Amino acid sequence: MTLYEYFEAKKLLDKYGIKSVDSKYVSSAEDAERFASGSKIVLKLISEKALHKSKAGLVKLNLQGPGISVAFHDLERKGKALSPYKIIAQKMAPSGVEIIVGGRTDPQFGKLILLGLGGIYVEVFKDFSLRVCPITKQDALDMVNQLKSKDVVTYGGKSSALLVNLLMEVSDMLSKNDFIKELDLNPVVVREDSYEAVDLRILE
Amino acid sequence: MKKMNLKPMLKPESVAIIGASRDPDKVGHVILQNYINAGYPGRLYAVNVKSEEDILGVKTFKSVLDIKDKIDLAVISIPAQFVPAALEECGKAHVKTAIVVSGGFSEVGETELQEKLVEIAEKYGMPTLGPNCLGVMDPRSRIDTLFLPTYKLSRPAVGGVSFVCQSGAVGSTVLDLISGEGFGLSKFISYGNAAHVDEVDLLNYLMEDEETKVIIMYIEGIKRGHEFVEVARKITKKKPVIVLKAGRTSAGMSAAHSHTAALAGNYEAHEAVFRQFGFTIAEDLSELLYFAKILDSEKYPHGGRVAIITNGGGTGVLCADAIGSNPDLTLAELSDSVKRDLRKSMPPLVNIRNPLDLAGDAEEVRYGKALETVGNDENVDMLLVIILFQTPGADSRVAAKMVNMKDRLGKPLIVLSIGADYTRMHRIMMESAGLPVYDSPASAVKSLAELLKYARYKERK
Repeated sequence: MTLYEYFEAKKLLDKYGIKSVDSKYVSSAEDAERFASGSKIVLKLISEKALHKSKAGLVKLNLQGPGISVAFHDLERKGKALSPYKIIAQKMAPSGVEIIVGGRTDPQFGKLILLGLGGIYVEVFKDFSLRVCPITKQDALDMVNQLKSKDVVTYGGKSSALLVNLLMEVSDMLSKNDFIKELDLNPVVVREDSYEAVDLRILE
Repeated sequence: MKKMNLKPMLKPESVAIIGASRDPDKVGHVILQNYINAGYPGRLYAVNVKSEEDILGVKTFKSVLDIKDKIDLAVISIPAQFVPAALEECGKAHVKTAIVVSGGFSEVGETELQEKLVEIAEKYGMPTLGPNCLGVMDPRSRIDTLFLPTYKLSRPAVGGVSFVCQSGAVGSTVLDLISGEGFGLSKFISYGNAAHVDEVDLLNYLMEDEETKVIIMYIEGIKRGHEFVEVARKITKKKPVIVLKAGRTSAGMSAAHSHTAALAGNYEAHEAVFRQFGFTIAEDLSELLYFAKILDSEKYPHGGRVAIITNGGGTGVLCADAIGSNPDLTLAELSDSVKRDLRKSMPPLVNIRNPLDLAGDAEEVRYGKALETVGNDENVDMLLVIILFQTPGADSRVAAKMVNMKDRLGKPLIVLSIGADYTRMHRIMMESAGLPVYDSPASAVKSLAELLKYARYKERK
């Protein structure tokens, strides 16, 4: 299995209407500062050799002003051992609840879609629901309601419809793209009326 | 893939037992004896390579090819290395279906030998069950290929529950337990290594089988995922399927690259399919039976509001607690008119609320009035009646009252009775009349919740 190129993956998400944060590859600290143009950004190092970025200290959050250049040089230093690598700059998403939306190809049942409480809580609480693709609207709603954390991730039901649509779009993408072996949108930051995938990874 | 016709296997008009033996210790002897004991009404033949002398009074041949009759089912119980040749003979003799009871195939690494069986079965279009299985039992057609003597394993009564089981050991213990339950058996099918006939074929058959009202299944793995999904999508719209899947703690996806793959391993994928298509998921063997009896009663609730009627305060509270902590159920709020009626008909010491505690001296008249009144409350979807037979008022008349009233109520009714011999006697009495009885608050309440979940799934779309 190999990592599908980040911007190719992003393009695919766009095609299915799945929103992800503004991102750009940056080759220098100045480049990153230009992308930020005054607002807060995130810098991430992407390499086949480091699949769990946050654990390896390869994600730098909340960067602004001189912090951008310090973070860039630190990532560059860490990247030497992980070559080939790239550094990506992203706009900071407004805060919200972090969820995971994922997919994988099961040898028996084909494409599966997953929804769970995301970010750092994924592996601690293992609060997730799973279905076979393609899913119906009812299946998507069941997936949301099955979560123990449903009141948290839906803001007491307010963002349920948003999540149902997102799941339908992801199911559609998974079903129509055979090459996707595994998909992680983790985290997806959800607010009452909007969301975006902050990190995305497709394995082919 | 085309559907297999399994009717000749479960409703055979003629059966040949290959490997029938005069030696009472041999499996082939026990199977033949069981056919005789079960009173199999069809034409029965024995096949034994060594002798043509009758075995247990049954006409015996050296080969299935010598039988001048059409054979619907051949039951093969001979050492593994001789099975392919015997199966080939069955094919040549136009035998319609076969069951290979013998072990010694892929389960011990003999995959090539097993592949040979599949090849032969395919060549002759002869559905073949097993190998390494207990075979089938159908009390209606009086067939019983189980090689376990009847004095060791009690056979269940005739009923509407069919049991599909991959493991022979689990199959025989659960079957033994079913015989102690009030509900009866439609079919028992142990399919072992699933070399040819697998769970997809079995579900396809049982879906159309009018004698089967409820299916319970124990599976270790599904081979044809897409075909399974196809049948799963259809079957639960017709009848409930309760499933217990082994292998929950298997190492899973150890080399997972993504969070998704790390979370959603093999067991989770199976569970996802079961959930998505309305299967009722059992977490252990006893839940297979708990859920089977409530689903077998075929009465579905329209909501999750439960009324409790009890003759013991504490047990009522335990049930109320279990309902309160179940996300699908709530304790019903009795309507004012029902409360007024109860106040008139109940003695002053009875507190009119839910749980309704009838007190320890409650006898059949008080139980009857309470059940009639509460049962007609539009705020109540399901009824849980607790009868503690240790109390002065509860005896067989109370049990008989429940049985009499169950068909008059348009709503699901279950009974909780906890106790030893005297209680057990009444449990059997009520269950054999089709009233589900439970022995713990947790199992009773969880069964109500599963009934509701299935009812909701069935109503969809």
